[in-house]
Amino acid sequence: MTELERALVALGRELDIPPEPDLRSRVRERIERRARYRRAAVLALAVLVVAVGIALAVPPARSAILRFFHIGAVTIERVDTLPAARERSLVAGLGSALSLRDAEKSSGVPLVLNRPRPRRFYAQPGLIATVLHYRGKSVLLAEFQGDQMGLTKKFVSPDTSVEPAPIGSFGVWLEGGKHVLIWQGASGEIRQMERRLAGNVLIWAEGDRTYRLEGSLNKSEMLELGRQITR
Amino acid sequence: MGRPLDESDLIGRAQRGDTHAYEELVYAHQGIAFRTAYLIAGNAADAEDAAQDAFVKAWRALGRFREGAPFRPWLLQIVANEARNRRRSAGRRAHLALRAATEQPSGDAAPSPEASLLSAELRDTLLAAVNELPEDQRTVIALRFFAGLSEHEVAEALGLPEGTVKSRSARALERLREPYD
Repeated sequence: MTELERALVALGRELDIPPEPDLRSRVRERIERRARYRRAAVLALAVLVVAVGIALAVPPARSAILRFFHIGAVTIERVDTLPAARERSLVAGLGSALSLRDAEKSSGVPLVLNRPRPRRFYAQPGLIATVLHYRGKSVLLAEFQGDQMGLTKKFVSPDTSVEPAPIGSFGVWLEGGKHVLIWQGASGEIRQMERRLAGNVLIWAEGDRTYRLEGSLNKSEMLELGRQITR
Repeated sequence: MGRPLDESDLIGRAQRGDTHAYEELVYAHQGIAFRTAYLIAGNAADAEDAAQDAFVKAWRALGRFREGAPFRPWLLQIVANEARNRRRSAGRRAHLALRAATEQPSGDAAPSPEASLLSAELRDTLLAAVNELPEDQRTVIALRFFAGLSEHEVAEALGLPEGTVKSRSARALERLREPYD
């Protein structure tokens, strides 16, 4: 260590840095409060899943339920008229390509992907995305955490089929017909980022995260890929 | 304040939901977490909030913590992010100051060899020069010498390659050498 470096160390000891607070009780209180909340939320979700599962089995109830519902950060809404949209790239509206490290930093979402990782990633606050290649097709994977980012999917019945999918704590499969995807960032006010026509989509919630896969795979292929991501 | 004898055991227990084990980890690291946050945020209230939020976020992220990896740099990265966010939203630079009374802290029987290097004038000059450094260099110097982190830990905390930390540190020391000489 040079003389200057030793002088800096000495200076550090003379700085006006307040004594460290004891954070233990406040941290414990916060994590225990969160645990209580999560237990209540899991119970509520379990009740909801059962209720939705029963209702989805009954055609009139299915139709009513599927008019408008949420899965994690995703809202699915049936409308009479689709908003104007056009075919765009899978990553349209998600910003420029980043390294994984930069994308995780920028989104605040650590990627969950138990498969070989691509090189290009996309980020928005609360969202991380990448394009995977599976069975010769491109599939957009988007993962949401928290409430900073959301998307709305609007579709016109009956061309688009919406059905439950057995993945995560609750999953939905959307296929066929024209449906429009709207990415939304929320920072105080809702900021609409992009709208485009979307392909087949699998959406599921697991823990505090929502996953979305979009591409031209069929349902069983998409479920196969989805389960590999989080296994 | 001593580090727990077996940190990996505490981490394992905390990962399984043991809040008492996590409380011991908080106790062991709250000093360096608060100091790191203070050196970045430059404000005691923000530093306390940043450290507290970081411990809560680290708890939530424990499931992704890699077994066998060192806990401190991983935690300090979360602390540094929280502190930087607060500094940015406050729109100010962290400005470090000396303690009002510059006598040795109670409990120190004699000045350390390092402390005896510094005259009052030199101390003021050096601190002024540190405060004048560009933010990225000042942060590296503060964490390296005032918080006592290794270059590797500074790199982890700031999410930078170690080479970048070395070069920022070298540029900062070059600037500081001038008033010091």
